[in-house]
Amino acid sequence: MTETRRDYLHFRPIQTRWNDNDLYGHVNNVVYYSYVDTAVNLYLVDEGGLDPQSSEVIGICPESHCNFHKAVAYPDRLDAGLRVAHLGNSSVRYEIGIFLEGDDTAAATAYFVHVFVDRATHRPTQMPATIRAALEKLLVVPGDGDKADG
Amino acid sequence: MAEADVEHVPGTRAAYPYSVDFATRWGDNDMLGHLNNVVYHRVFEDVVTRLTKFDLGVDWVNDAVYPVAIESQCRFHHELSWPETVTAALRIGRIGRSSVLYHVALFGEGKETAAASGRFVHVYIDRAGKRPTDIPPAIRAKLETLFG
Repeated sequence: MTETRRDYLHFRPIQTRWNDNDLYGHVNNVVYYSYVDTAVNLYLVDEGGLDPQSSEVIGICPESHCNFHKAVAYPDRLDAGLRVAHLGNSSVRYEIGIFLEGDDTAAATAYFVHVFVDRATHRPTQMPATIRAALEKLLVVPGDGDKADG
Repeated sequence: MAEADVEHVPGTRAAYPYSVDFATRWGDNDMLGHLNNVVYHRVFEDVVTRLTKFDLGVDWVNDAVYPVAIESQCRFHHELSWPETVTAALRIGRIGRSSVLYHVALFGEGKETAAASGRFVHVYIDRAGKRPTDIPPAIRAKLETLFG
C-alpha cells in the first residue's frame, strides 16, 4: 500500500550523509533504521522532555521493521513522518514514513516499538506523563484514511 | 501466520545452519551501554551479504542481476554489548520467483538461545531496469543445494 505524507502527523528533516550510501550508490538499508531512531528520539526529547543522559525512565526497542519501496541517495534531503499506532501503559508503536524532499509518496515505511523501562533495573514501567502527552498528539485510529488535516 | 510468528520465539543455534562471527566494536554500544538497535540490523545484513557473495557468488558491481533489500525486521530478546563476539546466523524461509526470505538471528558469546531474531528479504533486480526479475538459475541452484 502506498503511503503519502497525509498519513503522518509530524515531520522531522533528515539530511543524508556521504557515508549513508553503499556500493549501490544509494542509502544503505540499515541506515534507514538510524533515521528512525533519530526521528523518534528527537521527538521524545523536544516534545516529551526526555533527557537521554539522565531521565530515570528510558525507552528501549523490542522490535523494528522496515519495507523499502524506492531508493534515496546522498545528498538527498529527506523527511521522516511520524505517527503513533498504539499507545499502552509502558509501550508505544511508532510508524514512520521516510520521504524524499518534495516527494509525496514514501520511499520507506517502518515501525518501531519502544518499551519504557526504569534506567537502573530495566524493568518496564509506566511512561512519564510528559511523554504520554506528546505521543497522544501523534496517535491515529487504525484505518483512518484522513489522519492529518489535509 | 505461523511463518510470520517465527521470530517471536528466540531460536537456538541449531535452527540456523549458516553463521558467521562478528566482533563488536566500542562504537556499537550506545549510551545505554548495549548494542544500539540499528547495529543488530547491520549484523543481520552482514551474514546475508557474506552468504550472497561467498556462497552464492553474486558480484554486485558487474552482475546483470543482483539482490537488494526490500524488507527487514528485528525482534530484540536479550541485550548484546561490546566487547563480546556475536554470532550472526540464518536459514532460508522461502525462495520465491525473484525473492529470498532469510530468517536471521544473533547469538551472544557462548549463548545457545538467540538474543535477537528477524527476517531479511532480498529481491533480485535487473541492473538496467531496476525491476524485480527471476533469481538466476545458478544462484537458485546454490540456494537449494545449501539449504535443501
